[in-house]
Amino acid sequence: MSNEDLDGIVERMLDGSEHSRRQFIRHLAAAGLLVGPGSAFLAACGGVKGESSGKKASAVSNHPKVPIGTWTFSNWPLYIDKSVLKSFDKKYGGHVKYVEDINDNFEFFGKIRQQLQAHQPIGRDMIVVTDYLAGRLVRDGFVEAIDKANVPNSKNLVSNLQSINYDPHRNFSLPWQSGAIGLGYDRRKTGRKLTSIKDLFDPKFKGRVTFLSEPYDAAGMVMLMNGIDSTHATIDQITNAIDQIEKAQKAGQIRRFTGNDYSTDLTKGNTWVAMAYSGDLVQLHADNPHLEFAYPEEGSMLFTDNMMLPQKSQHPYAAETMMNYVYDPQVAAKIAAYVNYISPVQGVKEILAAKSPKLASNPLIFPPADVVKRLHPYPSLSPADERTMEERMAQVTGA
Amino acid sequence: MLRLSLRRRRKLLPYLFLGPGLVWLVVFFLVPLLNQSYVSLESGNADTGYAFAWNWSTYSDAVSSYHTQFTRSLLYAGAATVIDLIIAFPLAYFIAFKAGRFRNFMLLLIVLPFFTSYLVRTVSWQLILADNGWVVNRLRDVGLVSSNGRLLATSTAVIAGIAYNFLPFMALPLYVSLEKVDRRLIEAATDLYASRATAFRKVTLPLALPGVFAGSLLTFIPAVGDFINALLLGTPNQYMIGNVIQSKFLNILDYPSAAALSFMLMGVILIGIAIYARLLGTRSLTEAAAA
Repeated sequence: MSNEDLDGIVERMLDGSEHSRRQFIRHLAAAGLLVGPGSAFLAACGGVKGESSGKKASAVSNHPKVPIGTWTFSNWPLYIDKSVLKSFDKKYGGHVKYVEDINDNFEFFGKIRQQLQAHQPIGRDMIVVTDYLAGRLVRDGFVEAIDKANVPNSKNLVSNLQSINYDPHRNFSLPWQSGAIGLGYDRRKTGRKLTSIKDLFDPKFKGRVTFLSEPYDAAGMVMLMNGIDSTHATIDQITNAIDQIEKAQKAGQIRRFTGNDYSTDLTKGNTWVAMAYSGDLVQLHADNPHLEFAYPEEGSMLFTDNMMLPQKSQHPYAAETMMNYVYDPQVAAKIAAYVNYISPVQGVKEILAAKSPKLASNPLIFPPADVVKRLHPYPSLSPADERTMEERMAQVTGA
Repeated sequence: MLRLSLRRRRKLLPYLFLGPGLVWLVVFFLVPLLNQSYVSLESGNADTGYAFAWNWSTYSDAVSSYHTQFTRSLLYAGAATVIDLIIAFPLAYFIAFKAGRFRNFMLLLIVLPFFTSYLVRTVSWQLILADNGWVVNRLRDVGLVSSNGRLLATSTAVIAGIAYNFLPFMALPLYVSLEKVDRRLIEAATDLYASRATAFRKVTLPLALPGVFAGSLLTFIPAVGDFINALLLGTPNQYMIGNVIQSKFLNILDYPSAAALSFMLMGVILIGIAIYARLLGTRSLTEAAAA
């Protein structure tokens, strides 16, 4: 076809007679009709499956020893002494890509859920999630069993965590750290020491308060404030607590609902009081030395975050080697001293005591007996109750 | 290769040219659109799964539960569009008529913020508007913000953030339409004893209208669905419909509601554009799109 031909056709197409243009459009419409049902069919295939359709993963696995390679470890911000990663790389070879991309359990689950459900790898070989999400991942078969032969140090796990309702034999999970939810505040701004959960509702701090967005934490703390045993709370007690949070939010008392990112506003002085995780504030001293943490007198929610192998983990052996490494009491002591959370590894206290008596008496790493009495584990809710709670909370936090 | 008659080939050619665009539209627009409309009519929950059920109540529930966020989105996006128009018009006018050899440089300055990510730009507004920041302290000095007042986590901050982030979408179409204005027409107007203000009102402004339309649409439409500014600069009392959709899709995994809300947002915007086009004439709208 010569160039003149082509030009002619294009020209006619662009400003051709009304007749041919209409015909052209009609053809297009016909094509659209053909495509239409096709895509509806595609759409039908894309129906969303439920989580519980997943099969339960096998409780044993065998991960052969392979070179470590480059692998990915997802964790929460401010949750490791990064020199541990360097020494791990040095000792075992390979390279650990350490990503601090978990800010909130449900938010994180929302990110990875699609892949989990499609039985695809999530691009992370090891994740660290809190008990209630850990339980859900086990229930839905979204995690792989840990090959215990690769983690001999797991014998160092403290006795009170050796069994947990969702994973009685710790086949799928190994605790990373435990900690408490309490009050994080800027002493200079509040002008006084804070001791009670009620301080979060003090009108003097209006608009300067952040709450955690996870209902297990936020509602749990409010229930403790009201004298309810939040470990055995009913769904009605939980939704009542959320109602109370909503009222404070609408009144302008609560500025934002946060995940681990409460730290940003707090260090910058935009907020004065935060519902906070126990260990973070010490690390934030570098940015703002006036930050303090208090175990409230009414009690605290106690959380344990767990290392898990997401289903289709590409480097399970590397992840297990890391689990084993951080369960070496020497390494665990190093992490505990840095992050100021409660270590699940036996022998940490002795090591820290030998190093520095001050660390061994740090109430964040080793909560005193009267605090321990006031630490409350999360309630174990049915999937339906958990959903009711999440949806109610989302109405308050997400919009 | 099939040997087709010339006539045949001439008939097929237009489709060939349209092909890539059509495929793109079908794959990335039509298919997801149909898929989501299907999802929006499903019922069930994240645990047991969702099944198709012609469940229209999702739509009515969405209106009754989230009309506040809908109205808020329209208000915020509308306010930001007006602010952008007020800022961008003089700016574009200056660049088109007065900037001379600095014209390209100034255009570059407008586009420059796009070289960093949207998220980073919005987070930097957190620093600018911080409660103890320079800006808030100066505003306190002159009494515009009360001693315990704040800018961050207010509607002002969210609207300011949206206006800032979408300014180039307003400024560039305005510039294009102003730059196209034939200077001789303005000269002719002044020759015919129009004052400079009258010449602007009767000649420049009407000729720049397509740019105003295009700019307003390019600003308003994405701004209505925005959630980043409300998330980073607001509180739940400032959350827009985009925040609700985001939270439903990603946090509580309520896909049908999220899809229904998206469709209603799309519907509201389409109706809005239709009214806009009616009021201003479709011709100027298509011209605007061409600009």
